[in-house]
Amino acid sequence: MKYIPVIGLEIHAELLTKSKVFCGCANEFGGEENTRVCPVCSGMPGTLPVVNQGAVELAAKAGFALGCTVNNYSAFDRKNYFYPDLPKAYQITQFQYPICSDGIVRVCGKDIRINRIHIEEDAGKLIHDDAEGISMADYNRCGVPLIEIVTEPDFRCVEEVQAFVEEIARRLKYADVCDARMEQGSLRVDVNISIMPENTKEFGTRAEIKNLNSVRAIGRAIEYEITRQTNILEHGGRVTQETRRFNDRSGETASLRSKEEAHDYRYFPEPDIPPVFISEERLDRIKAEMPEMPNVRFERYTNEYGLLEDEARLIVEDKAFSDFYDETVGIYPAYKETSNLMLVELNRCLNDSNGKMSEIKFTPQMLAELVSMSDKRIVTKNAARDILAIMFETGSNPESIARENNLVMSTDTDELERIVEQVIAQNADGVESYKNGNEKIIGFLMGQIIRILGKSADMKKAKEILLEKIK
Amino acid sequence: MAIKELHKQLSAKEKGAVELTKRYLDRIEKYDKGINSYITVSAEKAIKDAELAQNRIFSGDSGLLTGIPLSIKDNICTLGTRTTCASKMLEDFVPVYNATVVEKLKNSGAVMLGKTNMDEFAMGGSSQTSYFGGVKNPYDLTRVAGGSSGGAAASVAAALCVAALGSDTGGSVRQPAAFCGVTGLKPTYGAVSRYGLIAFASSLDQIGVCGMTAEDCAIILAVICGEDKNDATSSDKAKGNYTELIGMSLKGKKIGIPKEFFGEGVSDEVKTAVMNGAEVYKDAGCELIEVSMPSLKYAVSAYYLISSAEAASNLSRFDGIKYGHRANGETYDDIIKKTRSEGFGDEVKRRIMLGNYALSSGYYDAYYNNANRIRTKIIEEYASIFEKCDVILTPTAPTGAYKIGQQEKDPVRMYLSDICTVTVNIAGLPAISTPCGYDKDGMPIGMSIVGKAFDEANIIAFCDVYEKTFCRKMPKERNSVQ
Repeated sequence: MKYIPVIGLEIHAELLTKSKVFCGCANEFGGEENTRVCPVCSGMPGTLPVVNQGAVELAAKAGFALGCTVNNYSAFDRKNYFYPDLPKAYQITQFQYPICSDGIVRVCGKDIRINRIHIEEDAGKLIHDDAEGISMADYNRCGVPLIEIVTEPDFRCVEEVQAFVEEIARRLKYADVCDARMEQGSLRVDVNISIMPENTKEFGTRAEIKNLNSVRAIGRAIEYEITRQTNILEHGGRVTQETRRFNDRSGETASLRSKEEAHDYRYFPEPDIPPVFISEERLDRIKAEMPEMPNVRFERYTNEYGLLEDEARLIVEDKAFSDFYDETVGIYPAYKETSNLMLVELNRCLNDSNGKMSEIKFTPQMLAELVSMSDKRIVTKNAARDILAIMFETGSNPESIARENNLVMSTDTDELERIVEQVIAQNADGVESYKNGNEKIIGFLMGQIIRILGKSADMKKAKEILLEKIK
Repeated sequence: MAIKELHKQLSAKEKGAVELTKRYLDRIEKYDKGINSYITVSAEKAIKDAELAQNRIFSGDSGLLTGIPLSIKDNICTLGTRTTCASKMLEDFVPVYNATVVEKLKNSGAVMLGKTNMDEFAMGGSSQTSYFGGVKNPYDLTRVAGGSSGGAAASVAAALCVAALGSDTGGSVRQPAAFCGVTGLKPTYGAVSRYGLIAFASSLDQIGVCGMTAEDCAIILAVICGEDKNDATSSDKAKGNYTELIGMSLKGKKIGIPKEFFGEGVSDEVKTAVMNGAEVYKDAGCELIEVSMPSLKYAVSAYYLISSAEAASNLSRFDGIKYGHRANGETYDDIIKKTRSEGFGDEVKRRIMLGNYALSSGYYDAYYNNANRIRTKIIEEYASIFEKCDVILTPTAPTGAYKIGQQEKDPVRMYLSDICTVTVNIAGLPAISTPCGYDKDGMPIGMSIVGKAFDEANIIAFCDVYEKTFCRKMPKERNSVQ
């Protein structure tokens, strides 16, 4: 029998606030253990949480980024369970009234529904010393603000899940909500997966795979689960509802706890924190701060600017890159040429130098000038690439680079004709071969011309003259 | 002696702050062995506080509380001075920060004599569940002082401090104040920051004051109240001069008397004493109006469900890992089970179990949610009473102080005796209890004046009018502190 997987996600994203969600401790990654703790986040008796309004606004932005309704009223609850990395023995989260609900994100040509986004606090970390046989708690991460994005079980294959996670990560980065560094744990994914026979409507029993920290791991874990659950059903067994852990090394999932062992979290409204009211005016202000999302840009690039989907996808991948592109074409609207220059030459420069978009020495204005010079045939396309490389290096403006490096296209037709004739004279064999039908030889002859003229040569003109003369 | 009078003497240099503090420390030394109102006496720190206060007095930088010796309930965190909640769990716990109220008292120049005894984690009405032994009533050492702020009330009654900070979750300041014959003020929820008050039931807890008079309570409230950036439930409505209405005419004011508060279980002596109190107001020109609170019969159940649910969660942090008592064990589960079994007393365990039961899946609606529905009803019933009345008058407790061992062993009976006080916490209102008579055993009886939210100045003024007519009999240990 053929089975269809039914998958839903719970995505935890750390918010890019300066301080933690309920106290003033710095919200950073790494560093020495227990150096970013205070009486509040270490759960000292008598302390009280106070909501960081920055976290509320970032959560609202996440909602806008993912097409959700951002609620005027939301409230915090306590989720009670004992664990040594949870100093209060309850996690403050939003259970009954989340800050965002009912979103839609389109990936792979399909709408994925988002049930809710809520704010909660992260727990600490346990460090196990097997040699000493002891465990130690590091509370640095306690109280780091998180949002949890919960989807409906709308995914039916790995590709949809992976595309969705990538899209979410991109949008959160665009909105400056989360840096989405999965390897550092600032974006973590729980996968709920069941399988059902084709042509049925009823979902199977699901397993939850916790804390997947790369898109690849998500894919591997899902594949493994599909195989595992299929095997169980094929052999007449029943899938048990449970929480599982994915082992990155073996590529397998293993049971963590069964449904019977699941906690009763005894949720109830957090009495220390009054409900969060966000006025329409404040929501409008937050919304006004939202940048255009990558999916909207993608549509614009492909539909209005005529870029290929692959080009558009590459440009929107990084917001700073896309911003630079948009600013450049805003000044000089040569969409294709700008895209080519940035995707090929600028990316090469960035890769070679390990550079960042934020540290680029030239401005979109300068790039627009370069594109316009190329477009108006003041420099050749080849020269434009070289000029861009020098701009990247020095930050000088393209016009002076072109002048100083003799890259301004020659407009002297006499000179051009003289050199074409010279090349024809020196390559009689080649010309002969062309006349015998070998059209490919033109490339070789043009190469000879460029060698003499340099990159400032008006290639188009030179080719015209060459063809004319050897006709 | 009233705070104002002491302040006058200190300012006039008729009295030295250090000398005053030492006199109280001597009295604690002499009388507290019998009463057991203090868990920790911080004598050295108190003398240092007094020296600083004296310097401020000399330099003319003093307020009403500068140099005034106070006691602090032992569930309010004091930097460097152990804060036990009267529990084995926190027997050696020394906070790394000051509660906001402690910080405010410090800034005012007040002197902290020590930390007062209480029911373990403020759960109880007798102060007999303390790990450090029960508090005895200064009027009769064989009787309870009430609770949970029994140490606070007893320390005031026996003149082992000038006034005391307590906490009131379901009557824990007012009821011991009534039992010990002093004045007890429970402010509006949010009027005083809870930051640093070790939580029992977060939505009900409020720091309050025990003093000899309503005016003393008002003076202290003015110092400790106000919005606090560390407590999101604190309010900016709480500010100002709580003594400003003292001396106002009560002519034409309306006092609501809810009949359900004088029902079964409330002793005749208490009913009579409170109604005599009402007569005093009538003489002052007030109109007495009989009002009704039909939901009172559900109040104790609702109170115990809500407070125990919150307590179960609040007390979960005591797992032996970070602070407090730690039992030996092989695994985390092992450590936490033993730590909590050893560290908590029976009453605390009972409430944790009750609270977790009320919150557990399948029971949440029947218990916690229904309790909250009653909470809403009670708030509405208070609101409708306050449409007709300026204040409400009720007994503070159904009886006077009883003999130690008489009823603390019967939890349900104990819980029911909170009937007169819990609705005020459920509705978040301010109330003040003042002595209005003595029972046949000579034990004080208290009556409570309940006000609208943030209307403390009004109930203080009402209370003051009564106190100026009432002749108190103080316990024999209370030798005047000159």
